[in-house]
Amino acid sequence: MAFTTIGDTNAARRVEDEIFRQGRDLKGSGFRVLVFAALGLSILILLVLLGQVLNDGWSVLSERFGDFWSGTLRSRSEDEKLGISQGLVGSFWIAVFVGVLAFPIGISAAIYLEEYAPQNWITKTLDIAIRNLAGVPSVVYGLLGLFLFVKLANDGQSSLYAGGITLAILVLPIVVITSAEAIRAVPSSLRESAYGVGATKWDVVRSQVLPFAAPGILTGTLLSLSRAVGEAAPLILVGAITGRLAPRDGSFLTLDQFDDRFTAMPIVIVGWVQESGRDDGFAAAAGAAIVVLLGLVIIMNSVAVLLRNYFEKKRG
Amino acid sequence: MTRGFRQLTRLLALIMATALIAAACGSDGDGDAAADPDVNGDDDSSDVAGEIFISGSSTVEPVSVRVAELFEDVAPDVFVDVEGPGTGDGFQKFCSDETDISGASRAIKDAEAEACAAEGIAYTEILVGIDGIGVMTNTANSAVDCVTFENLYGLIGPESEGIDTWAGANDVLGDGLPDAPLDIFGPGAESGTFDSFVEIVLEDIAEERGVAAGARSDYNPSAEDNIILQGIQSSDTSLGWVGFAFAANAEVKLLEVDGGDGCIEANVETIASNEYPISRNLYIYVNDAKAAESPALRAFVDFYVTDGLDQAVGEVGYVPLTDAAKDEVRAGWNS
Repeated sequence: MAFTTIGDTNAARRVEDEIFRQGRDLKGSGFRVLVFAALGLSILILLVLLGQVLNDGWSVLSERFGDFWSGTLRSRSEDEKLGISQGLVGSFWIAVFVGVLAFPIGISAAIYLEEYAPQNWITKTLDIAIRNLAGVPSVVYGLLGLFLFVKLANDGQSSLYAGGITLAILVLPIVVITSAEAIRAVPSSLRESAYGVGATKWDVVRSQVLPFAAPGILTGTLLSLSRAVGEAAPLILVGAITGRLAPRDGSFLTLDQFDDRFTAMPIVIVGWVQESGRDDGFAAAAGAAIVVLLGLVIIMNSVAVLLRNYFEKKRG
Repeated sequence: MTRGFRQLTRLLALIMATALIAAACGSDGDGDAAADPDVNGDDDSSDVAGEIFISGSSTVEPVSVRVAELFEDVAPDVFVDVEGPGTGDGFQKFCSDETDISGASRAIKDAEAEACAAEGIAYTEILVGIDGIGVMTNTANSAVDCVTFENLYGLIGPESEGIDTWAGANDVLGDGLPDAPLDIFGPGAESGTFDSFVEIVLEDIAEERGVAAGARSDYNPSAEDNIILQGIQSSDTSLGWVGFAFAANAEVKLLEVDGGDGCIEANVETIASNEYPISRNLYIYVNDAKAAESPALRAFVDFYVTDGLDQAVGEVGYVPLTDAAKDEVRAGWNS
């Protein structure tokens, strides 16, 4: 019906206005200013935060970057052995736990939900339950981890694997949801044409659905990894250490530290912020640690974007 | 198209393989302190080995960390881990036999002692240092220099609920406070600093007046000392209390306190000599059975009561014991 008015002179003038005299559309430009302001405000907040943290931590980052990288938790901020190596080790292994446990299980669950599960009320309930789980506050997962992996499994002693498994469970629903979203976005024409040439269900999933959904799955999973690396609350409950971790023998990749007490970057930051009241030099150390953690998360997110672009290009 | 997928699976397989190897190798735990051969003589601690775990007060945490750092140079094979979730949480773990030493910013409570007794855990209490509690206001506040316990009861006690000016406290108890808005910042009820403040300043007065001990509930509580300090700085006529070590480093005005013997300024000397009325003792509690079993733990506590008391306590900002008090502590531990 709308096309019948195209010959109207009024409409023609409006189109002309729209093209040559942009200022006439007041509501439109007002909306444009509003959304731009929203974007500007978000970026401004981010920049102010970043600026403040950099400002706080700059003295540490510029003067003793190497020592800070290799140092440990100490009691005094002027200690030259003060640093984040123990936090980095903990966060690295937590990321590995999430990659090993949450990714394969989460992606598999998503494939089942989207490709194999019958469309009935059980599946729907499961779907809703998983979405709710993704919204459960992270401390609740911390309580779960404290009970299962510390009190029950390890006589009350906290351990690196307790922290790692807890965070893997924490991000599991997020991995399922984002992967399911990516699989759902696969055009049905792709599946149908595959079935049309005689492919089995397994063929379709393996050769059509997963390759097409891979970029989306990758982005989602890597973003959930950043989330896990930045979480503090569940780790505090599971018993990550703020005061002192005795330097054990061995390096970054020594594996018998799984049973030992641990710390992680967000915990190091929380601890130092608390200490900064007693000894204000810790504020600079905390700022520097935040910059490092932010840097790591940004790198991980950039890798997610690069991988997505790479696979999207492959997909062609 | 399958190439993308193959690469994705290869990536996942790689991660999984790494972890499987990790899990396989990671199952054997470290040696326990108890399993180590005994060492004759406590003087030479360089060849003791073992693990020590310290929990408890976040106030005492830095002292224990500093002692552990110094001890590391003497006995590099003793691994000391320290955390500081709070005095109460610490005793809970200590009395469940999960820790070797528990730091405390107050003496153990009867209920906690009973819990330990029920689990058959005997312990030794060791006084390690003193932490004053600073009562403070904004640096811009020149109307008040000294407060009495009565003033503090009127300002912060259980009967002052709803009072929002300093002068309002005069109606409850004490006198001489100016008419100015009152913004109170302090640690939350779960904190040892809160407990100590109530016990030292408010409890006796409340008892005399037939009121249940405690503080008013309508102040701004925070578990973080920094937030309390920020609150004090944010209002010209604020009032608050926090550990002396924290207050002494901050841009706040420490008030003199009159506990019955005149106004006393809070500083290192008056706190060590117990002249300043609001100070609390910092303790560690050592599990006796574990100390008997583990030469590493004994050597560590020996070190704590010597170099720890002499050096570490002061280095992390608390007030060291007087020489006489140190001798008493050492005699107590050695017996």
